[in-house]
Amino acid sequence: MPHTRYLVVGASHAGLEAVTAIRHWDAEGSLTVLSREAHRPYSPTILPYVVSGRSRPERVALKDAAWFEARKVDLRCGEEVVSIDTAGAVARTASGTEWRYERLLLATGAAPAVPPVPGLADVRFHVLRTLDDALALRDAGAGATTAVVLGAGLVGLHAAEVLAKAGARVAVVERQAHALPGYLDAPAAGIVEAAFRDRGIALMTGRTVSSVQSRDGRPVSVTLDDGGTLPADLLLVGTGVRPATGFLEGSGIAVGQGILVDDTMRTNIADVWAAGDVAQARAFFGAAPIVNGILPDAVEQGRIAGMAMAGDPALKPYIGGLPINTFPFFGRHAVSVGIAGEDDPSVEIHRRLDARAGLYSRLSLKDGRLIGVCTVGMPIDAGVMWQLISRRVDLAPVKQDFVVAPLDTGRALMSRLWR
Amino acid sequence: MPSYETIAFRAQDCDGCMKCVTACAQAKSGADDPAQSRIQILGAAGKWELALCRQCGDPKCVSNCPSAALAKDAETGVVAWDADRCVDCLLCTVGCAYAGITRDARVGHVSKCDLCDGDPACVKACDRGALTLNTAARIHRRAAEREDLFAPGLAACQGCNSELLIRHTLRHVGPNTVVATPPGCIPGMGTVGYNGRTGTKVPVFHPLLTNTASMLTGIKRYYKRVGRDDVQVLALAGDGGTSDAGFQSLSGAAERDEPMLYICVDNEGYMNTGMQASSATTYGSWTSTTPVGERLQGKSTEAKNLPVVMMTHNCSYVATAATAFLEDFYEKLDKAIEVSKTGMAYLHVFAPCPTGWRFGSDRTTDVCRLAVETNFFALWDYTPDAGLTFTRPTGRPRPVREYLAGIGKYRHLSEGQVAHIQATVERKIAHLRRFERTGA
Amino acid sequence: MADAAALLPNAPKTIVCDGNEAAAWGVVLSRPDVVAVYPITPQSSLVEYVSQFIADGTLDAELLNLEGEHSVLSALQGAALAGARTYTATCGPGLAFMFEPYVRTPGLRLPMVASLVTRDMLTPQCVWGGQQDAMTVRDCGWIHMYCETVQEVLDTTIMAYRIAEHRDVMLPVNVNHDGNYLSYGVARAEMPAQAAVDGFLGVKDVNWHAALDPLRPMAIDPLTGGAGGPGPSMFVRYRKGLCNGMRNALRVIEETHAEWGRLTGRHHAPLIEEYRLDDAEVALVTIGSMTGAAKDAVDALRSGGKRVGLIKVKTMRPFPVEAMARALSKVNAVAVVDRAVSYGWNAGPVYQETLGALYRARHMIPAVSVIGGLAGADITDGHFARCIGMAFAAAASGQAPDGPVWLNEND
Ligand SMILES: Cc1cc2nc3c(=O)[nH]c(=O)nc-3n(C[C@H](O)[C@H](O)[C@H](O)COP(=O)(O)OP(=O)(O)OC[C@H]3O[C@@H](n4cnc5c(N)ncnc54)[C@H](O)[C@@H]3O)c2cc1C
Repeated sequence: MPHTRYLVVGASHAGLEAVTAIRHWDAEGSLTVLSREAHRPYSPTILPYVVSGRSRPERVALKDAAWFEARKVDLRCGEEVVSIDTAGAVARTASGTEWRYERLLLATGAAPAVPPVPGLADVRFHVLRTLDDALALRDAGAGATTAVVLGAGLVGLHAAEVLAKAGARVAVVERQAHALPGYLDAPAAGIVEAAFRDRGIALMTGRTVSSVQSRDGRPVSVTLDDGGTLPADLLLVGTGVRPATGFLEGSGIAVGQGILVDDTMRTNIADVWAAGDVAQARAFFGAAPIVNGILPDAVEQGRIAGMAMAGDPALKPYIGGLPINTFPFFGRHAVSVGIAGEDDPSVEIHRRLDARAGLYSRLSLKDGRLIGVCTVGMPIDAGVMWQLISRRVDLAPVKQDFVVAPLDTGRALMSRLWR
Repeated sequence: MPSYETIAFRAQDCDGCMKCVTACAQAKSGADDPAQSRIQILGAAGKWELALCRQCGDPKCVSNCPSAALAKDAETGVVAWDADRCVDCLLCTVGCAYAGITRDARVGHVSKCDLCDGDPACVKACDRGALTLNTAARIHRRAAEREDLFAPGLAACQGCNSELLIRHTLRHVGPNTVVATPPGCIPGMGTVGYNGRTGTKVPVFHPLLTNTASMLTGIKRYYKRVGRDDVQVLALAGDGGTSDAGFQSLSGAAERDEPMLYICVDNEGYMNTGMQASSATTYGSWTSTTPVGERLQGKSTEAKNLPVVMMTHNCSYVATAATAFLEDFYEKLDKAIEVSKTGMAYLHVFAPCPTGWRFGSDRTTDVCRLAVETNFFALWDYTPDAGLTFTRPTGRPRPVREYLAGIGKYRHLSEGQVAHIQATVERKIAHLRRFERTGA
Repeated sequence: MADAAALLPNAPKTIVCDGNEAAAWGVVLSRPDVVAVYPITPQSSLVEYVSQFIADGTLDAELLNLEGEHSVLSALQGAALAGARTYTATCGPGLAFMFEPYVRTPGLRLPMVASLVTRDMLTPQCVWGGQQDAMTVRDCGWIHMYCETVQEVLDTTIMAYRIAEHRDVMLPVNVNHDGNYLSYGVARAEMPAQAAVDGFLGVKDVNWHAALDPLRPMAIDPLTGGAGGPGPSMFVRYRKGLCNGMRNALRVIEETHAEWGRLTGRHHAPLIEEYRLDDAEVALVTIGSMTGAAKDAVDALRSGGKRVGLIKVKTMRPFPVEAMARALSKVNAVAVVDRAVSYGWNAGPVYQETLGALYRARHMIPAVSVIGGLAGADITDGHFARCIGMAFAAAASGQAPDGPVWLNEND
């Protein structure tokens, strides 16, 4: 039975960041990474660009073989973990190999959540989470004339833009009142939606798909909850994701919406950690733990998990996830960090909107501290804002300047904190 | 790990002339448009700040990049950006706390400093010395190039940071100096020497435990009188000689703002003579005079908060430092040296004692770092004009328990005592915050 | 600032002043570089005078107003090690507080001058004259010279610098004058010309042996001693060196007083003064300002035909044992009047020294210990007449009373 000190399952942002962190503290301990993917490690976020052709599939690997070699990491691709025996500290893979580990990191990410829409199960539909998904969608997109996208989240909108550019007539159906719910506020989403509509993409917000019509296992059209129908020879489901925890059944590892972890990303089992899209961890705003499901947080959590696993004393506990989003659309960008706080009367909101020019900015402050920022078409440093929010930097002394010029004021503040 | 070049910024030397910005814009876009510059100078006169890629050792922009367009070059240390792979998603900007990678709307993608192949245009354009091209190793080499004014072979305990501290201090202060080392570990390790031999290449003396600051007063005043104002007087004193018996003379010198550089090397007690408690000994500490037994559980009272006491005297400069953050220390030391030409500069440096505190001699720097990161020992500096400035963030401290955990003198602490210490740490930080300057 | 020289006498000048002011003028004429002050009764007016002289520009010196006597002497040690001629003054509790740097000064061989405006010691709490303070520190390695008159205070202050800075001495000097009696007692005094004093003191060089100066780097006061290596012999060398300095001081004090006499015409007894001693049967031994009244008593009894004389101790440290032995050899009994107590001997300190000198002289005569003038009490000529009576009685019986006679016991 192969034995490894560190076993990392999943070789994407969370897993790879953990590897980096482990090697910062422990240069030698045996380290094995198991990835279900046959491809070299890549990021799901890159997939829309694979679909569009902007990124060539052979050029998307996050790290090359030399990177793993230099870090003495044994990367096993095409190895899917199917069960974990936490009592024996053994992970079994689909190929039948049993890995004995001393410390285990579950960084298995998320998988698309497919809604129970009548007829959907009978057709070939697309999702976008893996490179193979992307290649399939790319090929299908080339021949599609009409496409319906379920969900106006990151995946759905990215795909809609790509499909539209590829020549299809695209409709996006979103159950919520506006696009990118949870990230953008209504005015920002309004600008984004207008941009999509300007390019002939039908955005049906506040709607759901109630059934799918098909022929020979191929979609023909979808019917909406208001009775309308949309032609669709390509169907993409982008209605969200669900942490990939299926293989944990019977392991004793506590799972809520995702794998429940503490502030060092440790699960209820002492030598098992989880990080990234698969984990459910402290929220920065609000008491209930969340599955944050964004790339920067997968990195953050992966680093913390790796440090904790290696016993790095520099570890600082996780301060909680918050929504962060940088959304490129048709060459423009919407950026949002934190929350709007619109339903909290003690939150001070400063908005500037030029709908015609598609420019927007919103700052939300509570008790002199930033809790959220959202911009469309205006430069903002998401990283600086994330720091100001998460460090709860007191902006009271510079509030006037900050409200007028958040970019420069934020940069100056961070420069000073750094020095 | 190799050490790489980075561009260092000394805010106090920047006059906001923007020559660096123009030079960068020129070098990178052939235009003078400051928006095209990858270095930005922000703020206002007297408090210029910098937005520029720090070429981090552990770059988060790279970790956040889904397209492998960013990578840290192992050869040069430059965080390099590959236009061909970039998909313009801006996730890299989420990772950067310093606005070192930002989108340039004119070219339609992010841009960042690439150090101009090792010869940055901005550094060349800066005629004030505010920008310099540095490696960490070079900073240490620069210290090494200066003469070590202590003799080799000082006999400090294994793992003690005081020797490092005093050697580096004197390298910065230079030879035109008179050094006072009152009884304690520093003369104990042989700086003033034994039986007619000295451990120091500049004039050095043992004051009494009690009169360091007043002896230095007399020396400096006389040199001033005879036109040798450039003679620097320096105290390298322990916490006992500073905070206990030496406090009166220190207080008098501070009150008069006597030109001197006074460095208190705080190991929280009389470690040289067998670990007796001083007023700087922290609550709960085991020492040989605050022992642990059935009735006593270490020191039952708080430490005197001397740096704060000094801040409320008339000193021209007061700062705290810890050797886990050497560059922070250097910066304060340089400031202090400058200030001490005309007024009193007081540096309070944290000196964990492996021998007396009972921890492994390889852990001193960790203990320093943890003390800072838990806010047990906050890093700040103070001038009467600018008020107090924290030089390391205090907003997200680690629990003080993590600091206490590895230190033998705290081994006996009860949960209640730990909670008490945590509460004290928080109270002290809150108190310090009140001295922060308002209005940035 | 006024030209300092213009304010100083370029020819001898007569003033009327108290002992504190006289000391201050002595300081002015000695031109110290650094003066550190902290007030204490009955010294206060002395440092007020000096401070005012500096404020006026009469004395061009760095004035340090420090937070206590401990720092006062410490700062002056620093200044002296840097090359400064220094001055301060203190007494009583201030001297006690100064004790830690005080005991260290002689070992550093710093030629400092400090006035002790002597005051009785606590407790009982008191603020009046007495010599308990100075006597208590007589064995610390400082030179101690006690003055009798306002003039002697002025003159001795100046001479003290020459003695202290003499290369064969290099020791600190306390110039002591009695609190109340001399500090506030007004008399006429002659001031020498500044140029004469400048010539008398010569070129200042106080740190040729031990300096804190980057131009001559050295370690001051490394740890010395211990049981092994060069430690023991080195430590003894330092101690003996100090003793040698003390011994040399006896000669230098005499030479200095002689030179001063040539310069000013004022001849003060350098070590001890013998007064009407040559054919005396008994003698009083006195110290400090009490001597005036004692001499009056001697004169009165002499006019009555009694053969009595007086020995005044000026230099208490180094103790002039040979001179004292010679003087004592001339009489058959002495009464030694102290303004201080040696608790363990149940006698006065000068009395003890006298016993030592008698032993050195192999002259075993009865000696009476008298203690008077404590805490500002007056010692009158009547008191001294009593003392002389006791001396005659002792000479006759060959016996001195057991234990001291307390002069003011019934006052
Ligand atoms: C189209 C798209 C666009 C996106 N855009 C953004 C965006 O703009 N901003 C943003 O912040 N986030 C975006 N995201 C989300 C982001 O990609 C994820 O948050 C991030 O990749 C999470 O990283 P992770 O390492 O936790 O999980 P993943 O990236 O999901 O990686 C998990 C890995 O584990 C492997 N794995 C799963 N189960 C097993 C098993 N049992 N055994 C072995 N291996 C297994 C998987 O194959 C996968 O490689 C996007 C996602 C998609 C799909």
